[in-house]
Amino acid sequence: MMAGKTGYKTFKGGIHPPYKKELASAKAIVEAPVPHEVLIPLSQHIGAPNDPLVSQGDRVGLGQKIGASEAFVSAPVHSSVAGTVKEITEVTGFTGAPAKCIVITSDANQPDFERKPGKELDSFSDEELRAIAREAGLVGMGGAAFPTHVKLTPPKDKPVDMVIINAVECEPYLTCDHRTMLERPSDLVQGLKLLLKATGAKKGIIGIEANKMDAVDIMRSAIAGEPDLSVEVMEVKYPEGAEKMLISALTGRKVPPGKLPSEVGCLVQNVGTAVALFEAAAWGKPLYERVLTVTGPGIKEPSNLLARIGTPVSALVEACGGIVGEPARLIVGGPMTGWAQPDDSAPIVKGTSGILALTADVVDVGSEEECVRCGKCVDVCPMFLLPNFIVQAAKNGQWDRAEMWGALDCFECGCCSFTCPAYIPHVDYVREAKAGIAAAKRG
Amino acid sequence: MADRLLTTVSPHLHKKDETIQKAMRNVLLALAPAAIWAVIVFGMNVVYIIAVSMVTAALSELLMRKIMGRKQTLGDLSAMVTALLFAFLLPPTTPLWVVAIGVFIAVALFKELFGGLGKNVFNPAIAARVVLYFLPLAIYGQKFVKPFFWKTSGFFTPVATSVSNGVATFKNLAGGHVDIVAAATPLSLIKNGRLLAPDVITGSTPVAATYVNGAGRPNFVSLFFGLKGGTIGEISVLLLLLGGIFLIYRRTVDWRIPVGIIGTYFVLSLVTWFYPGYALFSGGLWLGAFYMATDWVTSPVTRRGKWIYAVGIGATVFILRFFFSRPEGVALSIFAWNIGALVIDRYIAMPKFGELGVGAFNRLPALPQPAPESYAWRPHFLE
Repeated sequence: MMAGKTGYKTFKGGIHPPYKKELASAKAIVEAPVPHEVLIPLSQHIGAPNDPLVSQGDRVGLGQKIGASEAFVSAPVHSSVAGTVKEITEVTGFTGAPAKCIVITSDANQPDFERKPGKELDSFSDEELRAIAREAGLVGMGGAAFPTHVKLTPPKDKPVDMVIINAVECEPYLTCDHRTMLERPSDLVQGLKLLLKATGAKKGIIGIEANKMDAVDIMRSAIAGEPDLSVEVMEVKYPEGAEKMLISALTGRKVPPGKLPSEVGCLVQNVGTAVALFEAAAWGKPLYERVLTVTGPGIKEPSNLLARIGTPVSALVEACGGIVGEPARLIVGGPMTGWAQPDDSAPIVKGTSGILALTADVVDVGSEEECVRCGKCVDVCPMFLLPNFIVQAAKNGQWDRAEMWGALDCFECGCCSFTCPAYIPHVDYVREAKAGIAAAKRG
Repeated sequence: MADRLLTTVSPHLHKKDETIQKAMRNVLLALAPAAIWAVIVFGMNVVYIIAVSMVTAALSELLMRKIMGRKQTLGDLSAMVTALLFAFLLPPTTPLWVVAIGVFIAVALFKELFGGLGKNVFNPAIAARVVLYFLPLAIYGQKFVKPFFWKTSGFFTPVATSVSNGVATFKNLAGGHVDIVAAATPLSLIKNGRLLAPDVITGSTPVAATYVNGAGRPNFVSLFFGLKGGTIGEISVLLLLLGGIFLIYRRTVDWRIPVGIIGTYFVLSLVTWFYPGYALFSGGLWLGAFYMATDWVTSPVTRRGKWIYAVGIGATVFILRFFFSRPEGVALSIFAWNIGALVIDRYIAMPKFGELGVGAFNRLPALPQPAPESYAWRPHFLE
């Protein structure tokens, strides 16, 4: 627990990028039009890949499970439209890697989702909740896409006593979590209570950055009368929404390198995930759509959209009035950790929190120079690593040194590159180092 | 649209105004007041020296980069910073040809031969100054003149130290002897045990009274404002301090290094009661602490490394002054600790987030199995 300059809780290191949240923060969530074709990647999570449950020509209903795996660390995928399976093929995903997709042509008339009357929310057992999370295909919706039911199954010897809702949304431009809190505060609180139930934790915290005080007020009134729940205001700093930074800022507990939050008795879930858990438990609704922000100076009308998983980027950009000006980057995700796209064909997945069109005046393109050892990357690194030495080791192919300097502990927040006067793309080198270390260990 | 999209790696934003060029420009800006004050105190000689230094530095860099087939980087202004800092380390009557040789050593040898900005082990300006001490040219850099000596020689007249038969005198450009009085610096007075001797301090200079008090001591006010003999850059502690604060404010310089150096030196001189006041407000300590030791390339990158480095420099300067009264103590200390910086970075461990029970030192893995293409420290000319 550390108080920042503003007196709010925060962590050590980090940066203050231009946030530009005002572009979309006042726009209420609207439903994006259902595209005539969705491309649903079979695997949208970290873990074992799914096998298709349908084949070409099959009719599928809205929310029907179309891909699953027997493995524990996996999450099934569901059809986001009612329609016909056109084909199962490989397309280029948003990371640039090929992804096996189920392509579904959607019907002209789309049904509304039918809520299934379930049990009283209080009557669920932790086992049932885990089964529900798994059946609904829940994954972390902040971007990492780790299967939720796995997170809800902490090791027996490490009980979770605290559930933290990650409502920090420290990525610039993105406002989807902010809008969700403003528009669905009670659903979020219900989701949090379900998470407490599933883990047996006593305390629930909602961590919100100080640039969303309207959400703080709304959430505070939503948790009124719940002594176990609290809303914490946090200093505006990137990457505060990173799991380890968030836990450290709110509780002072430090997750050791290479360990999970359960090591210190914490569970962190994104706003979207908590709401999705509520929907899954209360309505039987699988995760086939999500809120995301389509924004940036290159988007005509920045918006927060409720979009079907598998919608191509192009359709969502179209729904927001299309591109204005000359975009220099089209990004899936936020500007700090998102993936720049070569075109607008990639489908969105469960972990996609935004689509950005950045113009050339926002994207600062500098040519990479030699490292001048200014140490600014070291100062801002929230993991206290030595990014410049990782880069040097990666350039030299010295994988053991890259590991010693902490390449494996890097979660690629990009603070180092943001602040580097020599414009060194540290994240690129870190990824190279991670691959190199893995290859060296395989022998 | 698609043909204009670039798929660069995240992050896609960059901090505004954070470039090497702008940092170097900040350093030049911070040094400007001290340079202007030096012109006022020592006349146009200072301008000639700085001009020769900058032109030679630029030409050296152009030439070396051309020879080695590297892209030209004059635009990053680092050569200009080296040139100005090197000029600041020289007495105001240094002959221009000595300046040119020195700055060539700085830029061509100590920067470009090591691989250019970022690869150099030593601060080029400091290294060249240290080399000059050990060349036969050293005697040119030992004569210090009194402030406002130009009142007798003329503001625009170039005056340079001239050496014949091992005796240094002052001559103008035409070769005529100029009768201006060489001054002792506060530090050299300490060395001779004559800090208070009036015959050294007072002289025929017109403004002697402004910087010497009734007892013949250089007073603190004159030391602080820079009315004293010394190298071009070191005379005004006040202006150096203002520039240093500007650099700290702009985050070009990490405050830990100047605070660590000056703090350590001050504490040690207090403990030993070794002229704590005089020594602190004289010499190149301030110039070194704010502008030389803080050089990005040649100082450690971690915060704890910076503390070790700064305390080390402060202590080394003190030892050199206490035992040897070496006027070049600051330059020598920084020179030595430039190597220390590399060692500190490699061996002083910095615990990662959440890491417990880490030793004080990094244990480097054994040298890599496949021979690496290059090492960080390896000068490029060896390849």
